Amino acid sequence: MTMKALTANRLDDGEAVFWMGGRWVDRFAEAQLWGDQDPDADAAEAHAKSELTQVVDAYLIDVIESEGGYAPLSYRERVRAMGPTNKLEHGKQAEGGASIEALVHAHGAARSTGRVNLIKRK
Amino acid sequence: MYRYDEIDRAILTDRVAEFREQATRRLAGLITEDQFKPIRLMNGLYLQLHAYMLRIAIPYGALTSAKLRKLAYIARTYDKGYGHFTTRTNLQLHWIKLRDAPDILEHLAEVELHSIQTSGNCIRNLTADPHAGATADEVDDPRVWAEAIRQWSTFHPEFSFLPRKFKIAVTAAATDRAAIKVYDIGLRLHRAEDGELGFEVLVGGGLGRTPYLGSTIRKHLPTRHLLSYLQAILRVYNRAGRRDNAWKARIKILVSSLGAEEFARQVEEEWEREPRDGVDLPDEELARIRAAFAPQGFETLPPVSAAFQSAKANDRAFARFARHNVKPHKVPGYAIVDVSLKAPGETPGDCSADQMDVVADLAERFSHDEVRVSYEQNLILPHVKLDDVPQVYAELEAAGLATPNIGLISDIIACPGLDYCALANARAIPIAQDIAKRFADPERAEVVGELKIKISGCINACGHHHVGHIGILGVDKKGEEFYQLTLGGSGAEDAEVGKMLGPALPADKVADAVEQLVEVYMRERAEGERFLDTFRRTGMSPFKEAVYADAR
Amino acid sequence: MPTLVKWTGADAELAEDPFTAVDDDQTLPRGDVIISLTRFQAEGEQLLSEGRKIGVRVEADEAVEALAYDLPRIAVVALVFPKFRDGRAYSAARLLRQRFGYEGQVRAVGDVLREQAHFMIRCGFDAFEPADGSGPTDWAHVAARFRHVYQRAADDRTPAFLERQG
Repeated sequence: MTMKALTANRLDDGEAVFWMGGRWVDRFAEAQLWGDQDPDADAAEAHAKSELTQVVDAYLIDVIESEGGYAPLSYRERVRAMGPTNKLEHGKQAEGGASIEALVHAHGAARSTGRVNLIKRK
Repeated sequence: MYRYDEIDRAILTDRVAEFREQATRRLAGLITEDQFKPIRLMNGLYLQLHAYMLRIAIPYGALTSAKLRKLAYIARTYDKGYGHFTTRTNLQLHWIKLRDAPDILEHLAEVELHSIQTSGNCIRNLTADPHAGATADEVDDPRVWAEAIRQWSTFHPEFSFLPRKFKIAVTAAATDRAAIKVYDIGLRLHRAEDGELGFEVLVGGGLGRTPYLGSTIRKHLPTRHLLSYLQAILRVYNRAGRRDNAWKARIKILVSSLGAEEFARQVEEEWEREPRDGVDLPDEELARIRAAFAPQGFETLPPVSAAFQSAKANDRAFARFARHNVKPHKVPGYAIVDVSLKAPGETPGDCSADQMDVVADLAERFSHDEVRVSYEQNLILPHVKLDDVPQVYAELEAAGLATPNIGLISDIIACPGLDYCALANARAIPIAQDIAKRFADPERAEVVGELKIKISGCINACGHHHVGHIGILGVDKKGEEFYQLTLGGSGAEDAEVGKMLGPALPADKVADAVEQLVEVYMRERAEGERFLDTFRRTGMSPFKEAVYADAR
Repeated sequence: MPTLVKWTGADAELAEDPFTAVDDDQTLPRGDVIISLTRFQAEGEQLLSEGRKIGVRVEADEAVEALAYDLPRIAVVALVFPKFRDGRAYSAARLLRQRFGYEGQVRAVGDVLREQAHFMIRCGFDAFEPADGSGPTDWAHVAARFRHVYQRAADDRTPAFLERQG
């Protein structure tokens, strides 16, 4: 079943971050997940877009189950959640662990932009 | 090498102060991201997948040891200890924090570097022949003109909001090492029959979604009128270029829709109407710039070096390096030494801070303090005594910088792709790594000979795939990474846009396909033919048959 | 009356705007007006004969050359920035000042932002209708940011290559 998460980049350092119940966290594994039609997801997105000093470019992404955990559906979003595949020692993937493994092994019919709203508009 | 005077320095200082103020206002929430984004882009600061990316301009690819050491310092202090040299001879740092950016710009300004006009719809950083001032092949030093254009185009009040970005490349050599035919404006210095120095002016080249080679709109422009003529081109473009569709806004679309002849007519008309005094540089200023590039410090040496010859005879690895990475210099007893940033398995164009320091030291000790960046994402030590080449080689080798593969199959151009870039559809780096590893055996690569592979992770074509002998374009097919191959492109003086091989291939089939293409070439090639020559002779069929044999 | 920022050549100041900007479908009020190029071409003679001051609004896709012969009689040329990124008006302003020697007011209207003050002034604009709530202090601040310039434009600043000759 497809879920949703809210992501953005933090304003002051550009780090990819995820929304978790009122604050932004660095790890995708800690991201809050919503059901596909949950209006709270849109409300969180609208809130994130309206504030000025925390994050830039907030948007909802599709999330799927992977290896008993979760992973963004799109390849692009998995790279954001992991780090660059040419330097495994960089980015969030450096700390390893089961949640990173779930990202590494996730696959499926990913839509590469992963931006739910962009896709809807097409 | 041009050194800043007080005026150049003040302009840079004022710019850093401006950006510091703007960034502070943004971080405090006093301006919105919509307002700030164009400002940060004007300073080369992009937001990418993992962090901000700072694109630092390296005007006409020319560095000194002090500049390169500063880049190393910044990479180590504010990034993760490496940087990525691009096909535009810029350096990209991929892990930058907005809060650090003003300090970084201040550090850069100390060594006369900046990130001005590395983004936005303005005249971007200039590129020029990286062998300028070192090759016997040139009629003049293109850096003189590149520097004149750099100054003229910096914060140009009329041309900072063009329909789209605008890139200019300059060469003065018959061999095109600056890809001038795929630039918005390509300038080729040459001498007319009466000996007068002038520019052949090409306009409307470019890659991206619709690749075009530039058309010559003027065969001979006397050099003193360079800037007024550029102003005329830019003014016609600024007024008439399309602004309704970003994909059709580059000057190539205007030139192609008007026709090169009509475009040239409009430029000439504009140029004739506008007074040139005050735009074209006075002779004194040109002389001042020229003096900064005057050759100096060259010793009178015999053309043959015993030390170099004996190293070649005694060390096969060095001999191979000499064959591929050492080029003739205009001064007897000197050589141009290519520093490969393409060690198999590494990321093309990436250079660690430690490696930058090594190259900076070598430049200081052995290359008149000069380093160049090539659009093929390698570094160059332009003025090395043949006697010193074995020593330079040894130190490069120790730093992983002596891969003897310049122009060979593993000397692959690749953009950062989906591993970093917010615009990419697919990864480029891992594909380059796969291919380079297949051809890591230097003997095999040498037998295959010159073969230029260029990979882009999206249609914007930062990896110049259209002009690769083998071009590879990453595309997104329902969320999977696929790769579209083209053959027969060239970005050199025999420029051509490559032709599509066939349906796109999945990521894990690309290196296999390259092997198959190479096999066909090896089978079909006639004496002395490069891959490109064989392709041009045989056409697509044998290559297509080999790659898609299984599919039939 | 909308805010108008004027550049005096050394400083920016707040000015009252005696002109009324009039759309093509509006009836003309009394007094000084800024009208479109199309309307000017149709009604310009008549309006000028009434003794009022006329300004002409030139859209980004219109050529200022169309005004060449009328410029001595026009008090304001308002050049439109449909978006701040649309830089056609910079060329138009330079042509007005440098090619046609226009001495009246060249006004920036539309998506006019303080960050562009330096470029606008250099191209010959001397009046601005800011769209970002900025005032004369902001405009003066941005205009004074750079102590030196590299190229000659429509202002009277000395380019670096001449400064160097002393």
